[in-house]
Amino acid sequence: MSRREHLRNLALIVVFGLALAVVPGTVSVYLRSFLMFTMMYVVLALSWNIISGFTGYTSFGHVAFYGIGAYTCAILVADYGWHWIPTLLAGAVVAALVALAIGYPVLRLKGPYFAIAMLGAAEGTRVIATVWDSLTHGGLGISFPNVENSFPTYYAMLILMVLTIAVAYVVGHSRFGVRLNAIREDEGAAEALGVNTTLYKLAAFGLSAIFPAAAGGIQAYKVLYIDPPSVFFVQITIAMALMSMLGGKGTVVGPIVGAVLLYTIQELTWVNFPTAHLIAYGLFIIIVARFMPRGLMGFAIDRGWARKGMVH
Amino acid sequence: MERSDVRSLYWLAGFLACAYALPFVVGASNGNVHFTERWLAYLATVVLSGILQGGVYAMFAVGLTLIFGVMRIINAAHGEMVMMGAYLTWASFFHLGVDPLLALLFTLPLAFLFGMVLQRVLLDGVVGQPELTGLLVTFGLGLVMIYTVELIFTTDFRTIPYAPATVQITSTIAVGQNKVISFAMAVAISAGVYLFLRFARQGKAIRATALNAEVAMVCGINVRGVYLITTGLAAALAVAGGALVSIQFGFNPETGVVYTLQAFAIVILGGRGNYVGALIGGLMLGVLEGLVSLLVPNGTAMVELAAYGLMIFVLLIRPAGLMGMKEA
Repeated sequence: MSRREHLRNLALIVVFGLALAVVPGTVSVYLRSFLMFTMMYVVLALSWNIISGFTGYTSFGHVAFYGIGAYTCAILVADYGWHWIPTLLAGAVVAALVALAIGYPVLRLKGPYFAIAMLGAAEGTRVIATVWDSLTHGGLGISFPNVENSFPTYYAMLILMVLTIAVAYVVGHSRFGVRLNAIREDEGAAEALGVNTTLYKLAAFGLSAIFPAAAGGIQAYKVLYIDPPSVFFVQITIAMALMSMLGGKGTVVGPIVGAVLLYTIQELTWVNFPTAHLIAYGLFIIIVARFMPRGLMGFAIDRGWARKGMVH
Repeated sequence: MERSDVRSLYWLAGFLACAYALPFVVGASNGNVHFTERWLAYLATVVLSGILQGGVYAMFAVGLTLIFGVMRIINAAHGEMVMMGAYLTWASFFHLGVDPLLALLFTLPLAFLFGMVLQRVLLDGVVGQPELTGLLVTFGLGLVMIYTVELIFTTDFRTIPYAPATVQITSTIAVGQNKVISFAMAVAISAGVYLFLRFARQGKAIRATALNAEVAMVCGINVRGVYLITTGLAAALAVAGGALVSIQFGFNPETGVVYTLQAFAIVILGGRGNYVGALIGGLMLGVLEGLVSLLVPNGTAMVELAAYGLMIFVLLIRPAGLMGMKEA
């Protein structure tokens, strides 16, 4: 793609963001928070996609970073009296450091073993958050002072989402992204061609930890209460993975489509069928993994409905 | 064995020594270690019940290792099968009034059938595909199972009051009767499976398929039939594990994840696809969990970390585990 097309696409992302910025004043509180959570899942799915879609290292433990972000925000606001916005940055930094520490050893594992190890790592983080009373208040959780926050959290999430989309787009079209794809396709060959795979995998992993942490922080401030089971919820990892797989992992548009689609379906169904949508999630994963490994976007590309460059 | 292979075995042994020493070190620094007779009796009790516990773990982990060994599928729904076994036992205990162990007489055939259906409907299509596909498909299956059970039984914790008495071993060491019964059952079932794999015709066919499916097929073994029996057997082992776990601990639909990860840890520690390795791994995990719960402050919450830590470090130090072959 030419430089002009890239600029046009990035401008499109910004326009899309601006359009969403005028919405909240005109809609109900319910719709506003629905939009906020949709944007949150876009952020989560896109960041999961950076490590698992672009690089091919399927992470079953990404909720760890989301939880770390939520806890950093809650602890700093409730116990140290910080303003909530800088805590998002702090959460991102902490999550990135944790990602580097976990990733350095664990990213040596291939395919399913990486996935299982990450599942273990995330469950381990949840146990630590429960046990470390003096820092996290243990199983009691942390409450925030009660304030009206549906506008500030909406805008924070919007900015985060635009940022995440832009970063995912830039990564997807940069040399960095090409190298990540090379690692996914054949790590040995990439290494033989001089790609420092360890460094690139770590960078991708760290990058993919930053945005969920910030999203976790915003979400914590929005719902005003967190405890270990709610923010280290395995199901959040599953949602990230499924949304990106359904949309088409390894693309930029795919995870966005997947997140909006699935979250909307979930929102429409969970009131009437609180557990049925989770059963449907399971079935979706089976179907997508078995029959549509490249997701909706792959499906569309195969039929010529979407240009490869547009989504890739 | 190659030199690097031997070296990684030493590293693993070193790591395991550290892993077992760690609870003692933490305990000592928190004043939980006293060399009195009473404390030593506690320690002996914990190690003993760890071994009893480990026997049950080992039994259901064998199911995971069987599926992996024969089909190279990592069954992420294994813990959910254990959980399902616990609920089957609970339902037959409270609704039909059947003794939990007697219930095995009909839950095991049911589980075997479930495994066979699963194999035909879902897993046959996954054999031979990249390992990640199998993992994702079974993961999805696990979700379906969790929330179907939740739909029927809600998320409440359930327990089965069974054999609450204790067995005095010496004047100071005593363990729960339910633990002893579970262990005895687990040993009997594991031994049965071992004999089946070793001597029965079908068992030999399973081992041959695990060694090399293509050669087995050329030798006239019905490989698809072997897959069917393997998954049936694995499901039955998981459900039996669930029954034995249910008479000792509370459970709810979401406890399956913990069992899945425990089984993974055991299989990885013992060596993927290795039957004897899984048994050893199970006992080792049981004892380590016991030590953590006794010595580490807040230990009962930290117990889960034993399995996760073992799993991750063994994968990093020696992916082949204690008894495993080097990956081809």
